[in-house]
Amino acid sequence: MQFRNLGSWLILGATLTFLIGPFIIIIFAGASAGNSLAFPPEGLSLKWYLKVFTVESFRASFVLSMGLAIFGTLAALVLGVPAAYALNRYKLPGDEMIRTIVAAPIIVPGIIVGLALLRYLVVPLNFTVTVALFFAHTALILPYAVRVVSSSLNNLRSDMEEAAVLLGCSRVQAFFKVVLPNIRGGVLSAFILGFVTSFNQVPVSLFLSGPGVRTLPIDMLSYMEITYDPSVAALSALLAFMSVAIVFAAERLLGFSRYV
Amino acid sequence: MSDAFVRLSDLTLSYGKSVAVPDLNLDIREGELIALLGPSGCGKTTTMRAIAGLLAPTSGRIVIDGRDVTRLSANKRGIGLVFQSYALFPHLNAFENVAFGLRLQKLPQAQIRARTEAAIATVGLTGFEARKPAEMSGGQQQRVALARSLVMEPKVLLLDEPLSNLDARLRLEMRIELQRVQKATGVTMVFVTHDQAEALAMADRIVLMRDGKIVQLGTPADLYDRPETAFAAGFMGFENILRLEDGDLVSEHGRAAVGYHAQAPMLGWRPDAVSVGTGPLQGRVVASSFAGGHREYVLDTPLGPVNANAPVSLAQVGVGEQVAFDLPLASARPLFA
Amino acid sequence: MLALPAAVFACLLFLVPVMILLSEAFRMDGSWSLQGYVDFFAKPLNRTVFLRTLKLGVLVAGTAAIIGYAAAFCIVNLPARTRGGVFGLVVLPLMISPVARTYAWIVILGRTGIVNNAIVGLGLSDTPVRLLFTETAVFLGLLQLFLPLMIISLVSAMENIPRDAIPAARVLGASWVQVFFRIILPLTKEGLVVGGTLVFTGALTAYITPAILGGSKVLMLETLLYQRVNVANDFVSASVIAMILIVMSFSANLVLKRLASART
Repeated sequence: MQFRNLGSWLILGATLTFLIGPFIIIIFAGASAGNSLAFPPEGLSLKWYLKVFTVESFRASFVLSMGLAIFGTLAALVLGVPAAYALNRYKLPGDEMIRTIVAAPIIVPGIIVGLALLRYLVVPLNFTVTVALFFAHTALILPYAVRVVSSSLNNLRSDMEEAAVLLGCSRVQAFFKVVLPNIRGGVLSAFILGFVTSFNQVPVSLFLSGPGVRTLPIDMLSYMEITYDPSVAALSALLAFMSVAIVFAAERLLGFSRYV
Repeated sequence: MSDAFVRLSDLTLSYGKSVAVPDLNLDIREGELIALLGPSGCGKTTTMRAIAGLLAPTSGRIVIDGRDVTRLSANKRGIGLVFQSYALFPHLNAFENVAFGLRLQKLPQAQIRARTEAAIATVGLTGFEARKPAEMSGGQQQRVALARSLVMEPKVLLLDEPLSNLDARLRLEMRIELQRVQKATGVTMVFVTHDQAEALAMADRIVLMRDGKIVQLGTPADLYDRPETAFAAGFMGFENILRLEDGDLVSEHGRAAVGYHAQAPMLGWRPDAVSVGTGPLQGRVVASSFAGGHREYVLDTPLGPVNANAPVSLAQVGVGEQVAFDLPLASARPLFA
Repeated sequence: MLALPAAVFACLLFLVPVMILLSEAFRMDGSWSLQGYVDFFAKPLNRTVFLRTLKLGVLVAGTAAIIGYAAAFCIVNLPARTRGGVFGLVVLPLMISPVARTYAWIVILGRTGIVNNAIVGLGLSDTPVRLLFTETAVFLGLLQLFLPLMIISLVSAMENIPRDAIPAARVLGASWVQVFFRIILPLTKEGLVVGGTLVFTGALTAYITPAILGGSKVLMLETLLYQRVNVANDFVSASVIAMILIVMSFSANLVLKRLASART
């Protein structure tokens, strides 16, 4: 028994080292006092962590990514919550097809979505880069929004709305007074999942990003093509912390993992 | 009948293409406690949902208190429904659940408070106002659901399998409670159940349904003592039902010449009506169990299995032994198809 | 009614453009033909990249399955208190930007990274060895990226194995190998299929990892697509690659659905 415990901890230890180790390394690589990316770092300092905040393009792309993540997710929820509700509660003609269409952006590789949007929508209709990115991110998050909200609707019995109607609610009132308060956790979870997904998204934005208008991950990729200095490591570490903090807080406050 | 408070006329209810209830006619009197009884799929819940307005009839009319409500939407009918699952709003406490409908009517605060507290008192839950549904037992949740409907002073209160989610002790308590509330408020109550004991114990009248049709309508005593069909008799505890052909009792297992003559094509006996120990028929005991006041036997007979109850004063017959028994004509209930 | 805006939005912004892109390879010189596909596979480089993508996808999914079973089995048998924490650590990387996750490998495999420092430090080689821009680097990056998906799928599948099934099999005389093939594998087949599809599709359609760790030396279909469009404005190749990726993803997805429904 002792031996088996040891063996199982060895396996878990190795797996976790493989999965988590690189982040530990990147945190230290970003804290290098030297000018090149190396491990072990040449002395420790916070200068690269501080430098990240002074790089103009990082600041601009951070703002863009934040905006896309927040507003893209909100738009996806505005479209997705009613869709999830309708698909969950009513037998619709062709609901399987609607489900497939709404879920499709998750199945088709992002780079193809980005390219197709660029070539047949953005260029012909002369969208600005920001508008194009906004639409693309909304489409990308829509499947997550529908899925997460659906699963929390599944846990809510539909006779709740009937009870509300019999007490005098209209269908719309029943949704806002009874359904929405009870799927709030699911909607917030969908928001967080959508936010993280959008913020970390690369392939869809790859073709759509234009000169001077780039999402943060794309900006990091192009920065890396020029130099391997530790600032990208520092930025990566900061972003990792941000994502983990958001998800950790969500789990504590909402029981995030119940919905995802 | 002019005293109908709720009248269903020629009501046809269907889900898509499948007809659940064809052409139903039923009158319910004011202040009556009526049970819709039947096995699952008999149309009882469908009928109840149609009265509530949650299901639009394919054809026919529903009149409540002299007003045709057939096309009136559910939120304007003034009907209460206690759901089988209670359907309490999980994000609201007991008080807010009960006050929900009154708040929608935008009544003055003081009135909402007074009526809500009164309704909560009626169901005996004073002191539990601040509890959320998740913090209450099943029985308490059901009382909240009941109060939430009662507070709206509905013309008709519908209850969907009101006792099915409660344990045996609570079930008895709630049965008495529902009757008490009904008498106290005088509300017309329609409840749906598949449990004949429940219907017999609570209802003023029972509507026995099968395949969307009313099989028999009457008082509990009517149904219990005088079922008219084999189906009704089976539901009311007539466990031995046999066909009568040319003076012989006939089942799918065989026949026995008894020389009975009756108007009905079938005869039914409760286990109590079967006499064990004497009689012209023979059977072998395959199971025997002690049930307090009597002993329950299952006999293997040429007519198939026969269920019989015998007083404990009678000598016990062991499993495997042959025993004489009788299906007396005098205690048989004549039945029609 | 309520689902309509979402469906219309997904159609206009997603379905229609993607369909047009896919049709591009079939429309050479104004008429319908398969010439685009013939031309694409005629080039040795394209064939190499196609086979490499397939190979890496299968390798990553296979390796993830092996590690995944071992790790999931250990996780499921942990006491409830440590289990949540360990599971959390497995899920954690999924929330982190793939750019950050992949960048870590540059630190590990780069010329002045840990591995090379160790090699030179131990005197195994005088000069740093090239580790970046190899298939191995891409393989490691992809495996690290998608292994959590496999572990999650297998853990949730293993949670459904009845508590006493494995001890019962042991008591009946089954060896651990027999236990795996006769009890664990059949009961977790569904989870393996889900995890396998997710990892395979993920590896196939990942862009960042091959871009950073493979560069132009180790092209995969996604990086090839990007290159063809950006360097050569070659939309026919892009259309062909898009079709290949979608067909592969959908077939994996179909297999998943077929197998999952066959069991219930």
